Amino acid sequence: MNATRGTILVVEDEPEIRRFLRSSLGSEGYRVVESATGRRGAIDAGSHKPDLAIVDLGLPDMDGVEIIRRIREWSGMPILVLSARTHERSKIEALDAGADDYVTKPFGIGELFARVRAAMRHKVRPGHGTLAISLGASKVDLETRRVIRDGAEVRLTPIELKLLGCLARHLGMVVTHRTLLQEVWGPNHAADTHYLRIYMKQLREKLEPDPVRPRYLLTETGVGYRLVADEDP
Amino acid sequence: MSAKPRWVGYAWAGAASGACTLAGFAMVPRFDLVNVAMIYLLAVVVVALRESRGAAVATSIASVALLDFFFVPPQGAFTVDDIQYLLTFAIMLAVAIIISGLTRSVREQARAQATLELEAETERIRSALLASISHDLRTPLAVMTGASSSLAQRGERLDESERRELARSVYEQAREMGDRVAKVLQMTRLETGAMALSLDWVSLPELAATVLDRLAERLAGHRVMVEWPSDLPLVHVDAVLVEQVLMNLLDNAARHTAPGTVVRLRAQLRQSDIVISVEDFGNGIPEGDVERVFAKFHHGVAAGTPGGMGLGLAIARAIVRLHRGEAWAERMPGGGTAFRFTILRETVPVAPAEPVEA
Repeated sequence: MNATRGTILVVEDEPEIRRFLRSSLGSEGYRVVESATGRRGAIDAGSHKPDLAIVDLGLPDMDGVEIIRRIREWSGMPILVLSARTHERSKIEALDAGADDYVTKPFGIGELFARVRAAMRHKVRPGHGTLAISLGASKVDLETRRVIRDGAEVRLTPIELKLLGCLARHLGMVVTHRTLLQEVWGPNHAADTHYLRIYMKQLREKLEPDPVRPRYLLTETGVGYRLVADEDP
Repeated sequence: MSAKPRWVGYAWAGAASGACTLAGFAMVPRFDLVNVAMIYLLAVVVVALRESRGAAVATSIASVALLDFFFVPPQGAFTVDDIQYLLTFAIMLAVAIIISGLTRSVREQARAQATLELEAETERIRSALLASISHDLRTPLAVMTGASSSLAQRGERLDESERRELARSVYEQAREMGDRVAKVLQMTRLETGAMALSLDWVSLPELAATVLDRLAERLAGHRVMVEWPSDLPLVHVDAVLVEQVLMNLLDNAARHTAPGTVVRLRAQLRQSDIVISVEDFGNGIPEGDVERVFAKFHHGVAAGTPGGMGLGLAIARAIVRLHRGEAWAERMPGGGTAFRFTILRETVPVAPAEPVEA
């Protein structure tokens, strides 16, 4: 028997949702610990020390954001939240409280696995992400700050580089507008979303094969942006 | 509940009895006193029909007083020689009271009737809505129940590809149903006004890209053309809601036109707003339907079109109006339909410039 790929804590009050998460995550080789309440989840997070937590934001006994805060007091484990559609504000609150990413209910299992994989990868190299990423024909080396596209060097401005670097540190995961604005322009610009629209457009024009239909620099409407790279082990 | 002030009725009372007096003077030498009394009675009837009971009674009292003073002998005094005129006065008063009573009850009946009709209309819409919702939700539910029970109870007797097919149809129907439920909820929220806009600077091409990505499967057979002007400004809108507008319009085009046809998304800058269009090259909609397609639960005429709830366009229009824009449909020359909506142009704040060199 192989070792598991890691332990995942599922904090979710609906038994049917826990059931399908258990069977599908189990089939991917993860060990699953289930908590039916928020209170129980906060305790299980401490006693089982999982590699990742999946927290439903609609728990009856405790605000999902509260559990995230409690876990964040002592642990940097990746946290994915499950949220209802059209609740952008609660997603943003959860992300600002320290959650790493979200999946919107109803979701397909493919989407969940992609989020879990990205979050697990992030855990291995926290804060650094991948230094060399491949976006189709564009190769980005964040250490030397060089971008090569189709063999030719692409010049990025300092802000474009900072923005790309911030997204790359959370490769595969969503980064909120606020986080991007604060990290790139500073705390006084946390609400200046138009900066982001302008610079994301520039980045896409320089890096995306088809800027009109981006494949790597993705928009999470109302929440933030997500950089995905070509899968390379 | 008449909105006009009380004094209007009494003004009519004064005016009518005054006018009768003038008419009486014109009549007196040639007509009998009885006919002059009839003129006053006419004034009482008219005021009783149009105005309040108080005004009618006032008219009758004023008429009696004027008739008595100016015409009943002895003229120029309120005394009455012939006792029979007292009967005339009593009749005038009675007519005023009876007619204003009748008028009031007729008015009340009309009002009650109108309320009943409004209630019936509301009820009719509500039941049409329920019928439509239950039909549109029952179909996917029936598929899901059937397919999943086959899997649960007969799974071992099916071969792998059949199992996969059934599971896939449960998945697809569940997604479709999720979509429909979300639309009903969205429509309800929009109608109850329980929707606060979360305004932000937004790039339309960016929103469109996420929508096209999400609709990739449904639009796979179509040729999608996207044309944005190079100077398209950012817009100040609720990103999630405007994304929904683009989603519903593009989804509508995908559902109602044949694969292989072109779906074109484009924008045109005008002085104070931007017109965003989703144009398809399908069969088009009948002339009379360009407005009706935006009604709730409207389904295309062609039976069996892969319709949704008939809510997508109604939602799109409600969202656009919430942003002080307009949404409409046009028949395109040579067939096909253009769905257009406007978004206001606002002055975009400038972002700080930076040196070009890294």
